[in-house]
Amino acid sequence: MEALRARGLTKAFRVKRKDQGLGGSLRSWLRPEWEEKIAVANIDLDVGRGETVAFLGPNGAGKSTTIKMLTGILHPSSGEATVVGFTPWRERAKLAYRIGTVFGQKSQLWYHLPPLDTFELIGRIYEMKRDDYAKRREDLIERFELGPYLRTPVRKLSLGERMRCEIAASLLHRPELLFLDEPTIGLDVVVKQRIRELIRERNRSEETTVFLTSHDAGDVEELCSRVLVIHHGGLLLDEPVERIKRDVLSRKTITITLAAEVSPEELPCVQGTENVAVAGRQVRLEVDLRRAGVEEVLSGFIGRFGIEDLTVEDPPMEEIIKHIYGER
Amino acid sequence: MDRTMGDSSRTEAGKAVAIWGAGAAAFAKSAAVARITLRQMMFYKTDFLLRCAFLLMILYVFSQLWSAAYGGGETGSVAGFTLKQLLWYLVFTEALTLAAPPICSRIEQEVKNGDVAMRLVRPISYVLYHYASFLAEAALRFAIHLLAGSLVVWPIVGAPNFGYGWAALLSLSLGALTVTFLMAAAIGLCAFWIEETRGLEFVLQKLQFTLGGMLLPIDLMPDWLQRICAWLPFRAAMYLPARAAVHSGGDHLLRDLGVQAVWLAVLGAIVAVIFRRGAVKLHVNGG
Amino acid sequence: MSTGDSGGLRAIAAFLGTCWKINLASALEYRLSFALLAGMMFINNFIWLFFWNLFFSRFPIVQGWELRDVMLMWAIGAGGFGWVNLLFGNFTRIATIVSTGELDLYLAQPKPVLLHVLASRMSITAAGDFVFGLVIFAWVGERTLLGALAFALGLLLAGLLFLGVMLHVGCLAFFIGNSEGIAQQALGSFVSLSTYPSSIFKGAARAMLFSLIPAGFISYLPIGLLKHFDPWFVTAAIAATALIGGSGIALFRFGLKRYASGNLIAARS
Repeated sequence: MEALRARGLTKAFRVKRKDQGLGGSLRSWLRPEWEEKIAVANIDLDVGRGETVAFLGPNGAGKSTTIKMLTGILHPSSGEATVVGFTPWRERAKLAYRIGTVFGQKSQLWYHLPPLDTFELIGRIYEMKRDDYAKRREDLIERFELGPYLRTPVRKLSLGERMRCEIAASLLHRPELLFLDEPTIGLDVVVKQRIRELIRERNRSEETTVFLTSHDAGDVEELCSRVLVIHHGGLLLDEPVERIKRDVLSRKTITITLAAEVSPEELPCVQGTENVAVAGRQVRLEVDLRRAGVEEVLSGFIGRFGIEDLTVEDPPMEEIIKHIYGER
Repeated sequence: MDRTMGDSSRTEAGKAVAIWGAGAAAFAKSAAVARITLRQMMFYKTDFLLRCAFLLMILYVFSQLWSAAYGGGETGSVAGFTLKQLLWYLVFTEALTLAAPPICSRIEQEVKNGDVAMRLVRPISYVLYHYASFLAEAALRFAIHLLAGSLVVWPIVGAPNFGYGWAALLSLSLGALTVTFLMAAAIGLCAFWIEETRGLEFVLQKLQFTLGGMLLPIDLMPDWLQRICAWLPFRAAMYLPARAAVHSGGDHLLRDLGVQAVWLAVLGAIVAVIFRRGAVKLHVNGG
Repeated sequence: MSTGDSGGLRAIAAFLGTCWKINLASALEYRLSFALLAGMMFINNFIWLFFWNLFFSRFPIVQGWELRDVMLMWAIGAGGFGWVNLLFGNFTRIATIVSTGELDLYLAQPKPVLLHVLASRMSITAAGDFVFGLVIFAWVGERTLLGALAFALGLLLAGLLFLGVMLHVGCLAFFIGNSEGIAQQALGSFVSLSTYPSSIFKGAARAMLFSLIPAGFISYLPIGLLKHFDPWFVTAAIAATALIGGSGIALFRFGLKRYASGNLIAARS
């Protein structure tokens, strides 16, 4: 059974072209020239019930336009879609009862009130039976460990605590499909981890289908079974996360700050490192984990140089996309 | 907002039941929105107090001005208003004016920053949501303003012994606040097309102040202006309830309610059209 | 305001000139919204006169005031508020500037702090107020040299009184922390009080208007200065203006000392 299916989904916006200066504004106001901008081009999507899918892409790639079409906010220019059995833009109101949404940058919680009040409102808006609501709420509070924050006004919660409440709030009405738009944005590593665990656990225990956008490669690796990459409005890649891990996320960027300046010639040469860049005391390099381990690379440095600081990062989204392009 | 109606909606009786059910559900949702709005209002106590302080001051100024105009005598009547009736009239119009939360700029803000899209994925009508929230806030403020206003005017011109006038005031105030809401919402929703609604809001506010009879009962205006006011919705938002309150008797009550009903229908239709157009624009252009 | 600056008055004048030039230039960047906002204010004031017109058509004389006097009261009130808000547009925002810590920006610069704060903003809507004042005077005022001079003195006094009162209110933020809401309401109330004929108030209320809340000095100007020149009233108005201005500056200095000592940080959090 499919949770989500889209064929040839396309969205083109008409944008007014505006010239510089007052004369330009006046001209564009009197005789507007329109430009067609394609935000999403001919996308096919299939998401099975209970799947966890990551929808990746750099900023402006068309991620949120796609989500808006799938939740019924935007009408596509062409193409069709079915989300839990409904055509989103024709049956938005009916669909609303069956899906949940979390927009990482917009809060649905009432700012000056404790989260409990918003929960109550949501229970009413989604027409939940009272006893069912109470049971469900207690369950989520326990799972998400919200007990200590329930009576604290939202404005006094940390970003991570708030995000846990956001997600719990959107799960109250047992959505079959949960759209998460950048759920970990702005959070620190430990909190990100916790949020990911919670989402994963919901997916396992209730078979909630998860459709998640992010530009954080970590979200994908740890949460999702399949990855869709969108770039310039088109679908670039649709593969199981295992393959992505092997092919693309197999790279890490290591930045080392040394105690003293070095010249590039002095650096150890380790198989599997690429794009080595030296700036003063800072050395930056990429490691291909299929060919060398992080440990192996570091051992080349330890002992020979004094190391003051060290970071190991996933490559940024832009790098990953460049890499995928390179492979095709 | 339409909802899943099940199979019973095929028969006529089933349809009626389904519509009634949808109505009851919408009411329950609105009540929930109203409750949470009131709870959040508790946070803005200082704002409340300051507003009341302003109300006290301005009503004191009015009482001095009109006492001077009436020459202090309480016997005279101008265009059917004694000093006492006039001052209580002003308490009611000011209480109504200051009761309305800034719904126009709230809606404008949501349209501009895209929050309106987020609200569309919830199973409650966007306009209904704001109406419920508006009414809860306005009702509480109105009640408190009435108390505060009484503090000023009662000692000066005596008790508000208007009898049925109170019933008229309360029954017309609901419609009056709704008219205010619809006019402000219509302008706030214009943010779908124009960048700044502040100018329009300003014009609306000023028209309400003058042609709505906030500062001066319409009966005291020259004939030509009274005739213009009769054709405009502004008087339904302020003048009608305040006048009905001080001219007890209730003989005009049905007619006044009728006037309000007409304006509610007209303005409601306008808001519905604007919102639907705006939603289409949002669907096509993403706002 | 520190007076020990190098270069003295001339340097300060040049500095003020530059502030105003920059403010004007940035206001003119958005000509359309400038015209719109100023026009809106003009219409707003006009609507009040429309109300007074209706009022006086029912009651031709109230406590010796006629429509013309009320019009001139609005001309002085709006015009005075207008020029101060054009040249020293931050005078309504002192509380905000203090309680948000924006003040640090000014403290870090070598110009007299209060003057710098005040002159760093030009209120666009105020242009409408100022022009309104001039237009109404040209319409119903005494169009002689002496009349114009008296009106100019009225504008000067009214503007400085608004400035002095708001300075006191704004300085509250030095002592009680966040007082933006109070300052805003105080401004609204003071402006309202100064646009009703002072003669309608009796007893204690009247005494208040000529002491604690000196709005009476503004609202009585059309009678005591323009209609029947009353040397006692005019002298009192000038003295009151000087006193309020002086005590406002002193209060700001005192507050600044407190601010610099860091006591406020605790109050703010």
